[in-house]
Amino acid sequence: MLILTRKLGESITVGDDIKITFLEAKGKQIKLGIDAPPHIAVHREEVYHLIREQNMQAVKVASMEKETLPDFWDGLKNLLSKEGG
Amino acid sequence: MNIVTTRFGEIDIDESKIIDMRGGILGFEHLKKYVLHIRDDNNPFWWLQSLDDGAIVFVVINPYSVKADYEPMLSDNDVKLLEIEEAEDVVLLAILTICQNPFSVSMNLRAPLVINAKKKIAKQIVLEDVKYPVQYYLTATGK
Repeated sequence: MLILTRKLGESITVGDDIKITFLEAKGKQIKLGIDAPPHIAVHREEVYHLIREQNMQAVKVASMEKETLPDFWDGLKNLLSKEGG
Repeated sequence: MNIVTTRFGEIDIDESKIIDMRGGILGFEHLKKYVLHIRDDNNPFWWLQSLDDGAIVFVVINPYSVKADYEPMLSDNDVKLLEIEEAEDVVLLAILTICQNPFSVSMNLRAPLVINAKKKIAKQIVLEDVKYPVQYYLTATGK
């Protein structure tokens, strides 16, 4: 891991178009500003893992038994009509 | 164009309906082409089928059908990436997670799919707003 020391307001560049600026330090928290092009996804690591894990659970529906589908849809439709009113 | 899927077998795809998942779905960033596959007009759930990998399919729903006051904020970067010009071109979908035993259904309100319906460009965005949970349960079980 590359370790760099920076002062408040200073930045680090990554490649040609990513800039990370050290904005604020308060106790154990630091605030960073990140400039990156739209196609670069920037996430808090734990949130990234949480969503990724949820997506992995969600695709398991592909292998659910086909026979249970009609019941499954009806169950969901009933749920929705209750929720949506 | 025909593709072979795990869920539906071989299906015929209207190429004009292919969605470019430009920003990717987290964990599935390598899969870029999807179609919304509607099996039954009477149900509010759609299948989002990957064209790059026939085994990958999501069940999605219009989140407003469950939560009418849902107000996700798009970042400027997302608006740029998705080439959104008019608000009415935006379609939001929430990914469902379904567990069979015990039966539970939740939708992901923290990371909705945002689709530019006019240009067929999409992305799973991650909201900063922590009030929207990753698992918003539609069923009592699992809560």
